[in-house]
Amino acid sequence: MARRVDSISQAVGQAEEEAEIDLTPMLDVVFIMLIFFIVTASFLREFGVDATKPPSVQQSQSDAKSIAIKIYSSGDITIDGLNVDPRAVSAQITRRKAENPDAGIAVLAGKRAKTALVVGVIDSARDAGFRADPIPVSELQE
Amino acid sequence: MRRTVMESNQDEEEGINLTPMLDVVFIMLIFFIVTASFVKEAGIDVLRPDASTAINQKNANILVAISSKNEIWIDRQKVDKQAVRGQIERLHAENPEGSVLIQADRDSESETLLAVMAAAREAKVGVSISAAIN
Repeated sequence: MARRVDSISQAVGQAEEEAEIDLTPMLDVVFIMLIFFIVTASFLREFGVDATKPPSVQQSQSDAKSIAIKIYSSGDITIDGLNVDPRAVSAQITRRKAENPDAGIAVLAGKRAKTALVVGVIDSARDAGFRADPIPVSELQE
Repeated sequence: MRRTVMESNQDEEEGINLTPMLDVVFIMLIFFIVTASFVKEAGIDVLRPDASTAINQKNANILVAISSKNEIWIDRQKVDKQAVRGQIERLHAENPEGSVLIQADRDSESETLLAVMAAAREAKVGVSISAAIN
């Protein structure tokens, strides 16, 4: 009796060891998932400048300390009322920031002003040291 | 002669060991799952303005494009100016970590650009403007 039990348990143990799990269906699923994720992977690399639109209340407040850059629909750029060439914007901001290190910055863009000019001015401001915060851009009432 | 017969017998019985390949496949699978971001592209190509200080916008995955004719495109659809905020809110709800990237054409007008920025601001999402590094 004892011998029979022993031989049965031995036989069961042997069968378990021999019968391996069939991995094929799982492999199929894993491969299909792998291919799906490879195909849908889109490694987007976008470059850009941070900008923000301040609340409309701030627009009417004329902060004496901030450098106001106005971009008119005609393409003219003025800094604190003075006409400036688009290429000289960066130098002008740098000079004004050196005179008054606490100065803030505000970009005002006219309705028909081109995006290239607006981004150019934002770029100049960032170049002149206004990198920590997004540059506020609001609408210029012409 | 006898030896080669024995070897081929052994090969048939053992089969190829799949474990290392499975390890690699699983690691690739996990990598692609983790990096999958499912960005919804705006649907049009724009001529980006130049900016030398532009930085890589890593989590900008709400793309809003503005064509040179001042049309707004989101998720391969032309969107009305009034509907921009709703679209941004919808995409932001799907992906709360993302911020808005405006792909504005260099000849687009700032009225549209500012309208999109205002919409993003109302939806309380960060904004950046796409640029090409010159």
